[in-house]
Amino acid sequence: MSKKNAFPGGLTGGQYTAISDSDAKKIHNASMKVFEISGIQVNDETALKIFHDHGAEVDFKRKIVKADENWVLDKIKTAPSSVKLCGREEKNDLDLTKKKVYIGTGGTATNILDLKTGQRRPSTLNDVQNTAKLVDALNNIHFLVIPCYPNELDKKNVDVNRFYAAIRNTSKHVMGGVYSPEGIKNIANYAAKIAGSKEALLRNPFISFITCIMSPLVMDRDYTEMMITAVETGLPLATPTAPMSGTTAPASLAGTLVQMNVESLSGVILTQLLNPGHPVLYSCVPTTSDLRKGNFCFGSIEMGMMNAACAELSKFYNIPTYVTAGVNESKLPDMQSGYEGMATSLLCCLSGCNYIHDAAGLIDSGMTVSYAQYVADDDILGMCMRAVKGIEVNEKSLAVDVINRVGPGGNYLFDPHVTDYMETEFFYNRVSDRKAYGSWYSEGALDTRQRALERAKKLLETHKPLPIDKTVENEIIKTIPGMVKEWD
Amino acid sequence: MPAILEQISEALIDGMSKKVQGLVNKAVEEGIDPKSIINDSLLVGMSEVADLFQEGEMFVPEVLVAAKAMNKGMEILKPMITEDDLEKAGKVIMCTVKGDLHDIGKKLVTMMLEGAGYEVKDLGVDVTPEKIVEVSKDYKPDIVGMSAMLTTTMVSMRDSVSALEEAGLGDTVVMVGGAPVSEKFANEIGAHYAGDASTAVKLANKLVSK
Repeated sequence: MSKKNAFPGGLTGGQYTAISDSDAKKIHNASMKVFEISGIQVNDETALKIFHDHGAEVDFKRKIVKADENWVLDKIKTAPSSVKLCGREEKNDLDLTKKKVYIGTGGTATNILDLKTGQRRPSTLNDVQNTAKLVDALNNIHFLVIPCYPNELDKKNVDVNRFYAAIRNTSKHVMGGVYSPEGIKNIANYAAKIAGSKEALLRNPFISFITCIMSPLVMDRDYTEMMITAVETGLPLATPTAPMSGTTAPASLAGTLVQMNVESLSGVILTQLLNPGHPVLYSCVPTTSDLRKGNFCFGSIEMGMMNAACAELSKFYNIPTYVTAGVNESKLPDMQSGYEGMATSLLCCLSGCNYIHDAAGLIDSGMTVSYAQYVADDDILGMCMRAVKGIEVNEKSLAVDVINRVGPGGNYLFDPHVTDYMETEFFYNRVSDRKAYGSWYSEGALDTRQRALERAKKLLETHKPLPIDKTVENEIIKTIPGMVKEWD
Repeated sequence: MPAILEQISEALIDGMSKKVQGLVNKAVEEGIDPKSIINDSLLVGMSEVADLFQEGEMFVPEVLVAAKAMNKGMEILKPMITEDDLEKAGKVIMCTVKGDLHDIGKKLVTMMLEGAGYEVKDLGVDVTPEKIVEVSKDYKPDIVGMSAMLTTTMVSMRDSVSALEEAGLGDTVVMVGGAPVSEKFANEIGAHYAGDASTAVKLANKLVSK
């Protein structure tokens, strides 16, 4: 009789607005001036030609693309207002639209805190499998962005194995960064086998890709080539840009959003020029720099505010958001990882961002993942989703009859009203300790990190993800180039 | 074992008092021994409830509703059996100590103990050491359970334990709990400590089996 999740993905946010509608319009207007005056640099010949053929002002020598507001708005018009990202099981499907909120993991870390020793070491393909499996078991994490990098593999074999390691360990949606056009093609190829056919895959895409844009204002050659390949697969795509306030973007938060908006829209535009109607997300990773020493900040409060503001910008363009929250600068799962992660995740959830990634497992400014942190973040994200659901006020919840029935001096534990509400009104933390001091002490006086690690170990031992059909798996391993041969 | 006994257990776990009553009546009509109805279905169901509660699968209000269903079933069967037929886990006196009026924690422990098969006499709140001694002499409990919510009333626990000793009832097993109480304090006054309702049941089981 397992309890149903009362606060699942897809609840509607919007209780918090980081910027007003009129400020969103001002940021839009400012971005259009940047598009027109400075433009963006596109270091890929094919892309430059596409921009040119569709009427943008292209300087082939300087590789600069400029455009005016009318052109930009006309080209993004075909981007869908809702994007469906599916799981291998229907219960894990995500419907990204309006202010529906989903939150999940991010990557790509190159290190992991070892499950047994707790020491930081380079992550492996096995860690990709285990992190995916852990996320599959955690109810408040709604999707998987592939968390870490298999350092032991040749770079040319990373794409196919990394995606496969994730897919076979979770039936939640799998999105991931990519490293080569061949990798993208091969992943799409075997994903179609898993889905049954290419049509079935595109109807219910259980995987999607991420290809990046560089701040300030650059579409890099390799990433743009991969972006083009990814669009050709027909699978959904995020084209994030990660400006850092004060170093690769203006120090003002509004200025960072202006530049980010130009970059994010550039990704959307290219996908629409290549394939009008292509499922793409308005993809944002606005971050900051700590100007005391110049360090990159993935867990600053300003980052949370800017990412939350992306909900308003994306509504202005009517394209679903991909934003970033929940990461932190801490080197261990500790107080810092908790408070930094909670602050930005809560802001983004309450603002109604659609696809909030990086929000579980990542520490160390995104350079490291921690099994314990996933489990702690599962609690944090559950709390965020509880807040998104809000306080329900209706005749039954006002409980006048109940209060009168119990009367002065009574108690509510024995009233059926309690049973009606106990599963749907409260979020029950799994890692938080709510015992009396004595019980906590006698059970080993464990701190949050120890309790989280214990739960992580238990879930990794017991959880059984939905497997891939054996025949299909064998065919993939046999026919896809570069695949690791032994999987367990 | 007749299928109906299993159905009673299931209805009990679901907290359906009326259904439990109906099924118990039906089982009696079918000629099943009342002792078997108690031991092989009601107590089996309650034991499952205790396990589910421990695992976090059942919540406090659900346990209370299940305990109520159990009691409804027992009401029908009690007149059909002798006192000796009833396998009791033990007898317990519960109270909130002198000067303290808080009782939700104590009520919770009481319900949980009853659910686990204990016969519990609840003396209420603001109970003096004298009253505890008086009832203990008469009722002969296996355990005296005391609750306090305030640091200022916690001392009444010490007084109550002393009063029991002075009355020659020094062998009485005392169990204490409540927000300000700790393992250390319990040891100091010669009592046993439980941090919450579920550990209270576990502790009681341990204490009576000694």
